[in-house]
Amino acid sequence: MNDKIVHALRGVSLEIRAGEYVGIVGPSGSGKSTLLQLIGGIDTPTSGTVEILGTPIGALRDRELTRLRLTRLGFIFQRFHLLPVLTARENVELPMAEAGVPARQRRGRALELLTYVGLSDRADHRATQLSGGEMQRVAIARALANRPALLLADEPTGELDAATGQEILGLFRRLNKDGTTLVVVTHDETLAAETARIIHLLDGRIVSQREPEAPAPHPRSVSAP
Amino acid sequence: MTGLAWSWKSLGRHRIRTALSIAGIAVSSAMLLDMVMLSGGIEQSFTELLLARGYQIRVTPKGTLPFDTEATIDSISGIVQRLRAEPAVAEAGAVLGAALYGRKGDSLVTLFGYGIQPEAQALYRLDSGADLAPDDTAGLLLSSPAARLLSAAVGDTVELVGRLDPQVATAAVRKRLAVRGMVDWVYDYKDQPSVGAVLTVIQGLTGRRTGDQGSLIMVKLSQDSAAASVTAGLRRSFPRLEVNSVADLARQFKQRLVYFRQLSYILGTISLVVTVLLIATLLTITVNQRLAEIATLRAIGISRRTVVGQVVAEGVLLTLIGSALGIALGLITARYLDDILTSFPGLPAAFSFFVPRRGTLTTAAVVLLLTGCVAGVYPGWLAARLPIAATLRAEAT
Repeated sequence: MNDKIVHALRGVSLEIRAGEYVGIVGPSGSGKSTLLQLIGGIDTPTSGTVEILGTPIGALRDRELTRLRLTRLGFIFQRFHLLPVLTARENVELPMAEAGVPARQRRGRALELLTYVGLSDRADHRATQLSGGEMQRVAIARALANRPALLLADEPTGELDAATGQEILGLFRRLNKDGTTLVVVTHDETLAAETARIIHLLDGRIVSQREPEAPAPHPRSVSAP
Repeated sequence: MTGLAWSWKSLGRHRIRTALSIAGIAVSSAMLLDMVMLSGGIEQSFTELLLARGYQIRVTPKGTLPFDTEATIDSISGIVQRLRAEPAVAEAGAVLGAALYGRKGDSLVTLFGYGIQPEAQALYRLDSGADLAPDDTAGLLLSSPAARLLSAAVGDTVELVGRLDPQVATAAVRKRLAVRGMVDWVYDYKDQPSVGAVLTVIQGLTGRRTGDQGSLIMVKLSQDSAAASVTAGLRRSFPRLEVNSVADLARQFKQRLVYFRQLSYILGTISLVVTVLLIATLLTITVNQRLAEIATLRAIGISRRTVVGQVVAEGVLLTLIGSALGIALGLITARYLDDILTSFPGLPAAFSFFVPRRGTLTTAAVVLLLTGCVAGVYPGWLAARLPIAATLRAEAT
């Protein structure tokens, strides 16, 4: 076996400000997903530091980091990863249940979020009964459940057809407009073009950044429902 | 959405697999329950049988147990009188057990005869007709199998024949007795044709009248708690006889059954291990099929505790359903097995190998519940230790 160490990222220095809409692009293996996982605190760097909302995550214990992900971050995955045995509403309620939100309150918020993503009529359908686009919208609602400060999406349109991908883009636009900070990893040029700042990665390094022309707003909290 | 509801839905993903697993757990649980019932049931059933009529002490010939041999106690009526004079003794009655014959037309049928003292009998329950009076030397009691064999009923006359031994050319002794009642003999084996008459009648039929012989004396005490001390006192008073309390007999019986108990423990443990392996295998497969889902849950902030709890809850749920079915199955199979085992010759029909007790059922249920938790430990650990980032990367490729 060749145990050669591969550095997925090298010398990356990046700051994301509240309210930004950032796209991370690059070819396969360039380290995009690894960078997103580092930002999201689900992976740790071999050297260097990652601060989330001013907290160096290297100093956090697993329980604290898990709690941080639960309450301050939202994740959207390419393959949605909803629990197939649960309904759309139950999937959205899951992070709130974990956070200790009372049942009635989380039920109300889940329906509010499903309405926000246009799925109020599908709340009681199981995940397996939903289309790809619907599942991704449920995943977005789930990511928003605990009012995160930062939303991270990994190839959110990768499994969707063009039309459905456009719907998701529209939703992201609306979320950012409503004050949600978004970081999106994508191959999708259309999606990348939507973002205010595009970071190009190649072989684990940032090779270029297109900064926003105007400073992004700095809301204290997201205003999505 | 509670943890158990979530687990229930998760188990519903693969219904056939879950159903097969539950069936497997039910069979293992049934076997475990049967073995637990068997390990303590024989002893309990034996004790209950000995105490069926409330007599706590048995006096037998030295070195023997009741009806263990054909040895007899001489001058048994006098010993009974002495026992009845003891302050702690409420009742005492002599019993003589012997083979007899009954005439049916021109032929003789083999019977078992009990010579009893009706004023202190501990061997039967009256089903119909009348009981014997202490001095009723013309009356007879029949068991249902004996009545069938002799085609006799209450009010009929039956001829009993004793001392019929062609090999030693002993002359037969005959006596005609009127059937007073139909009784259920407590210690009879299944379909045993037994008859009972007052002690002197059976002694006369079997040639044991001269020596006033009997097989055993059954003693009932005024207080149950005095059994041990009275037994010790009677041993001192009657050094040439064997005096045992029911507790002593149960202890001796238990020693004889030690291998039986060990076997039931071994089989019970095997069924428990099979249950653990079955559940652990199913949950491990389930966890391995849901690695991406678990990694996602961890990524969105679901704690290790919740994830492990959900896996363990699935194990507990499987165990609960499987055990509930297993307990029902175990009780049914125990009943059938009991019927088969108690059909063996020489075993009292009232004896039971499998005795369902609340304590036994509770023990089995608790053990099975713990089994479900233990079985969830390894798959739960797998889920808890799952590397989130690596799993999500592997899932994406």
